[in-house]
Amino acid sequence: MRGMKFSFLCKKKPQPTGKRIAIVGAGPAGLTAAGYLVCRGHDVDIYDKMPEPGGLMLFVIPEFRIPVERVRLGAKELEEEFEVTYYPRTKVMEGERLDEGDEFYERVIRLRELKENYDAVLIATGIWNVRRIGIPGDDLEGIISPLELLFWIKGNKLGYVPDEKVPELKGRKVGIIGAGLTAVDVAFECNRLGADVEIFYRRTIREAPAGAYEINLLRRRGVKWFELVTPKSVIGENGRVKAIELLRTRLGEPDETGRRRPIPIPGSEFQVPADYLVFAIGMVSTPPVNGSYLTVDRRGRLVVDSRHMTSVEGIFAAGDVANGPTKVGRAIKDGLYTAVAIDKWLRGEL
Amino acid sequence: MERKYLYVDYLTCIGCETCQTVCDFIHDGNPYIRIYVTENKQYLPINCKHCDDAPCIRVCPTQAIYRDEDGAVRIAEDRCIGCLACLQVCPYGAPFYSLKVKAVTKCDMCAERREEGMEPACALMCPAEAIQYGPLEIVMDLVRERRAKNIPEHQRELTEEELRKSISSGFRVF
Repeated sequence: MRGMKFSFLCKKKPQPTGKRIAIVGAGPAGLTAAGYLVCRGHDVDIYDKMPEPGGLMLFVIPEFRIPVERVRLGAKELEEEFEVTYYPRTKVMEGERLDEGDEFYERVIRLRELKENYDAVLIATGIWNVRRIGIPGDDLEGIISPLELLFWIKGNKLGYVPDEKVPELKGRKVGIIGAGLTAVDVAFECNRLGADVEIFYRRTIREAPAGAYEINLLRRRGVKWFELVTPKSVIGENGRVKAIELLRTRLGEPDETGRRRPIPIPGSEFQVPADYLVFAIGMVSTPPVNGSYLTVDRRGRLVVDSRHMTSVEGIFAAGDVANGPTKVGRAIKDGLYTAVAIDKWLRGEL
Repeated sequence: MERKYLYVDYLTCIGCETCQTVCDFIHDGNPYIRIYVTENKQYLPINCKHCDDAPCIRVCPTQAIYRDEDGAVRIAEDRCIGCLACLQVCPYGAPFYSLKVKAVTKCDMCAERREEGMEPACALMCPAEAIQYGPLEIVMDLVRERRAKNIPEHQRELTEEELRKSISSGFRVF
């Protein structure tokens, strides 16, 4: 197998420009931007809090969708052929905030420090937090974040997460709430590890973001699909999850996304027993700032102008941290066009 | 020169849009590979398949469509009269008329890149390894190797020896 060729635009490193760029986040957007920038002769250093580059592609998305070696060899090629320097286990942050995957970093660098030491900074830190549901009992033991569960399973295979971190799922009942790509990935991995998996979704299979095709593949593998239900509370026993209380829903008028809005039916409560619950209802951007240093929007995403630049001159942002959550290809697209903007800005053309 | 194939494996594709993105980037916003989404959300990247027995080559009244030395089906823009006969016969609907170029354009297996000794960008960048480029036997072998990974029952602990072997198929760089 060969790695992704992030530097697909050139064959070898051209004459150096002497400009140095720091990229924060070694996911698809960061690595693709690095590939473009090294092809334009710039010197690139990449900081990432995880133990090796690749981001969600390596640590979260299941192996059967994106092979580990495909990402690993791609990142390695940038290092070996284009002299990109990686700083793994390094979290870049201005202010403080707890994110998922934080157990992996060993050093913290301030964003301002990078801004002073480099000619340009690109932020591509993606979405490393999970949206909380906010229902009674959602902090009980046995409720697992989808992101955490996926990187425990994959991180364990890669040798970064000890066996005892990965919950014993064989024969256990796992309830997953949500029907996006994260939900189906969690369902797939739990099913593979021998769990009894049930997916709960508030609309029908026709509206599910992951699509009927993926969901039917799972159903054929024994995953149960339960539609038109919405969680009301989590029932616990001795501090642990015992069951989930659900309400039936019906579909009303279309909402702003064009999909029909689910309306809970009062008095339709019922319970389904569960050992583990995973709320895969959305992810939240995690910019390396908490505070007023950079402008973020209502959803916590970095605000960028038409030059892909944040509110601070010389700091750019690309990928899910600015437009997430989306898809790998869209992060790559944003990484490419942001890299073009950085290159032009460094040459004084922007 | 040996005939090359550009194969898109729909069972391996994850619909991430990377192929369309990089193609769009190198062709100024006109991607020659485009993702179509079916009603049940299956993602199908469609591009010219560079068929062995290409109906477009046979139907073109001005012989504007030809096969180049790598096996890519190409269009000589200066000979194209824009009659769209090629679109009529293409089972994939791959050729499209460009008002800018005033000729039919479509995937040329990254002709400019091949001239500089580089491979098609979509195959190099696909994260899922769903796009393979190269001589037929190598492409077939890589597809089988990749498909095997999609069978979860095959995911078991590998020995050191197997791990070393699993990194490449024995066919390194073409």
